[in-house]
Amino acid sequence: MELDELTLAGAKRGDMHACEKIYRMYHKQAFTVAIRICNNRELAQDVTQEAFINAFKRIKQYRGDSPFWGWLRRVTVNHAISALRKLPRHEAVELEDYMCPGSGDQDGLGQCMDLEQALQQLNNEDRMVVWLHDVEGYKHLEIARLVGKTESYSKTRLNRARAKLRKLISGKDAPNTHNLTLNANA
Amino acid sequence: MTAHDHWKQNTSDPLGLSDLESIEPGYDGWDRIESALQANQASKRNWQRAGGWLAVAASLVLVISLVLNNTGISTPGKPPVKEFATSEVNSASVPVQDNINALIGLSQNMEEQVKKLRQETSSMPAESAIYVAELEDLIAQVDNELSLTPDSIDLWGQRVNLMLDLAQIYQQQWEIDYGRMASL
Repeated sequence: MELDELTLAGAKRGDMHACEKIYRMYHKQAFTVAIRICNNRELAQDVTQEAFINAFKRIKQYRGDSPFWGWLRRVTVNHAISALRKLPRHEAVELEDYMCPGSGDQDGLGQCMDLEQALQQLNNEDRMVVWLHDVEGYKHLEIARLVGKTESYSKTRLNRARAKLRKLISGKDAPNTHNLTLNANA
Repeated sequence: MTAHDHWKQNTSDPLGLSDLESIEPGYDGWDRIESALQANQASKRNWQRAGGWLAVAASLVLVISLVLNNTGISTPGKPPVKEFATSEVNSASVPVQDNINALIGLSQNMEEQVKKLRQETSSMPAESAIYVAELEDLIAQVDNELSLTPDSIDLWGQRVNLMLDLAQIYQQQWEIDYGRMASL
């Protein structure tokens, strides 16, 4: 799904019909990225809205030498990270706090949690790093720049996030942590 | 998907997070986005008009200042310039009252512009705020003097120049605000 030249030119001129067409094309994708990072529907709605408004205000800066979605995704990711930074720290859901409903021990986790649920149980930083790296294709250096940390931070977070996800899905400690570490450093 | 794609996905996305489905937003936020964009466009147009107006006003003040110099009327703190014979011909044809009326009109328009700019500008840094306060004090002083000598072309010229300075500060602040919004 790539944006046609005519619609892009219209949006650059400030034509609302062109902007609306772009919004309808990418709303779901942008919202998905926002909610994966923010893990909160209301916050993701605000992030998506602000991202579109700012993208349309700055659309003249988009030169068209890369896919439009890649550009819009960066705007959305920046807004999502900025929104997370503004959250009070206690609002972050920590993995250690999680207890699967109806089960008193870790062994029961695997039976009641799929990948979707497991992802929601990660804390904000782990979820953001694993999503940006594994799904959106960000490099460690890019993630590090986004969050103002080092590449090592991104690699460590990725390893931790993957290990936690494996643990949540299988209900026990990740069996292949060594491979995950190698992959994370790739 | 080719074997290479499988291998690549396994290494970069070993848990298969990419396979998770997109999430339906479940709402339509276009109306709010459209309103925000329209408000932004209107604001931009106002500022472009204000910017254009400032340039015109500045040019008029410059022209009037040149005319004043040619007519031999001195500005405060500046001795009258000795005129050449050629400029004396022009001076006779420029009625002073017309210049005063032009400056009064300019001053009134500047007042309106500054009012609009003030409404659309957020809070400004302390240094700018102090400068604004100083300019407003000076304008008040000029107004005071104008109440005694309402036909003073010098005072009206000073008032327009002070209003121009004031408008420029607000415009610069707006540009900073706008740049900050765009960089988000």
